[in-house]
Amino acid sequence: MSTMKNSLLKAVTGLTICASLALGSFAAKADGNIAGKKVIFVPIAMGITLTEAWAKRMKEHAAIYGYNVDVRDAAFNSGAMSELLAKAISEKPDVLVVHNPTVQLLARQIKQAESQGIKVLQLNLQSNQPSTAFVGANWERIGREIAEDIVKACGAGSGKSGEVAIIPGQLTAADSVIMNEAAFKVFNAHPEIKVVSNQASDWEPEKARQITATVIQQHPNLCAIFGHWDVHTMGAGKAVKDAGLEDKIIVYATGGGDDKTCQAVEDKILDRVWSYDADGQGRDAGTMVDVLLQGGAAADHSMLKIESPMKIIKLGPTYSKELCFKL
Amino acid sequence: MSDISLNARGGRRKGSLLEYVVIGVIVAIIPLFSIFIQGFATLGNLRVIASNSAALVILSCGMGMVIISRGLDLSLVAAMVAGATIFAVLINAGCGAPVVVALTLLAVVAIGFANGWLIAYVEIPAMLATLASAMAITGLFRFGVLRGEFLLLLPKTNPAVVFFSHDILPGLTAPAALMIATFVLTWILLRFTTLGRITYAMGDNFQAARLTGLPVRRATLLIYIYAALTALLAGLVTSASSGTVDFRTVTNGSLLFEVILVVVLGGIPLRGGRGGMRNIFVGAALIAVLRNGMTLFDLTTQTQAVLTGLVLIVAIVTDNYFNPRDTETDTVGDL
Repeated sequence: MSTMKNSLLKAVTGLTICASLALGSFAAKADGNIAGKKVIFVPIAMGITLTEAWAKRMKEHAAIYGYNVDVRDAAFNSGAMSELLAKAISEKPDVLVVHNPTVQLLARQIKQAESQGIKVLQLNLQSNQPSTAFVGANWERIGREIAEDIVKACGAGSGKSGEVAIIPGQLTAADSVIMNEAAFKVFNAHPEIKVVSNQASDWEPEKARQITATVIQQHPNLCAIFGHWDVHTMGAGKAVKDAGLEDKIIVYATGGGDDKTCQAVEDKILDRVWSYDADGQGRDAGTMVDVLLQGGAAADHSMLKIESPMKIIKLGPTYSKELCFKL
Repeated sequence: MSDISLNARGGRRKGSLLEYVVIGVIVAIIPLFSIFIQGFATLGNLRVIASNSAALVILSCGMGMVIISRGLDLSLVAAMVAGATIFAVLINAGCGAPVVVALTLLAVVAIGFANGWLIAYVEIPAMLATLASAMAITGLFRFGVLRGEFLLLLPKTNPAVVFFSHDILPGLTAPAALMIATFVLTWILLRFTTLGRITYAMGDNFQAARLTGLPVRRATLLIYIYAALTALLAGLVTSASSGTVDFRTVTNGSLLFEVILVVVLGGIPLRGGRGGMRNIFVGAALIAVLRNGMTLFDLTTQTQAVLTGLVLIVAIVTDNYFNPRDTETDTVGDL
């Protein structure tokens, strides 16, 4: 009996040890080698659905693998952003996620981080300085596609004036620079399209409203407005609606596609929105961070890229509230 | 007191020379813009100028009164957005109009009272007190009330939002009507009330005003409360027009800069004691016409900022030339 007991005890002890080892090895595998690693995310500003969605999704990935995502909010302050990035670099994180306000502002610091072995993921807005990875919208494609749509709606054979107003966020912002270049390439091939105004709103809806109210007075036959961000373009759309021209002027925008965008489309504040789905981008960014932490990089040291799929939100048979996400 | 009355009647002393320079510039640029900028000289564009300038003029009325009293309110735009935020949060929460109005007024009066109390009773210089309160208000509202959000969207169908953004009479928008009402009210306050007389006396010589027994502390409280109320009105007009409450209006800082520009350009010296509503009208007219013309001319935002900055520098240099500091004006609390 005692032999049996001893055998059983040995068997149980052996099984426990095996199970512990197995669990231990599984734990190491499940974590990969990335548990406890450090990721710092420096957005232009938190408090907007775009960055909140990204942070939320990246933190979900971090929770699965056990690494940390630390968010440093620059609160729309370029000076503070450079300081936050310098501080982040000094902390030597494994991955640095940056959201560039302009093509130039953080270029030197991105280069510095990469030279110190910190992998830099640029999110949605790209700097002049390449880095390990980029996840985000293809701004060239958005600018080109919206411009082509404007040509169809306002160009030759449409019976419209061909007058277009562009409202960038900032003329030096990465998305505005690329979209404007792509759009002007299309417009230049169509001389019937006249860009009558190209003034930045500093991303503010009220400034966009004031610019639009003024431009509409000068160009009562304006055919389309191309706003570079849905949030500030809502101000422009409001000016169009206040002037009673919502059925005459087409308001184009691009943005992260949250539920407020769908509401604006339903209210006829915005007409056609090229959405890069910020929620999906957040998940893509989380996946990219997972890969980078596990040692992923392009073999030739070029930039790894994930281009966000586009959704076109406009009223009509293809419209559904499901096109937009809610945080 | 005769000196005060003289100032209250429009401050016809050498400071008004700047006003005439600005009037000259306006008279020169309006025909130029009319000839060279398509769509400038139209009735529709005049309505746009009035509507787009409403918040600026309303804020300038509050700032003008503060500056005449030899003060400065750097928290004006923060109070404007804070007031609009309370309004928007309460409306989004489904509160009734009387509750929304009462609570919003209460909060904004508290901001003005805090500014006035810090300046009048704690005797902190106006610039520092209002700079600190602007930072405190922005931080409190962004992180305490909005929990980090930058933008609030207003329900466009809400009757209060509709009231502040649509026409009151045919051709007269609510923002333009409220701008005119604030302008007239400020004129009455400065011209016909005891508070107005004390405001000029404080600006002209604060120590003398205090020594003659004028209630300068209570007057300071009332002046900053009035400024906060104009900020609230400007906030309601702006947020209802664009359908959003946007905290970047505070952090970008360009609106506050434009408000000070209007007051200084119009001919109200930063050392106070002089000027009136005519000066605010002149300053606002120049900025509004310039801004409208530059937008119609499709100048970039950066170019517009450079030109506006140049105008401010020229105005301040001119002001300094015509109003040199002397033993009478260069006293404690001078900016």
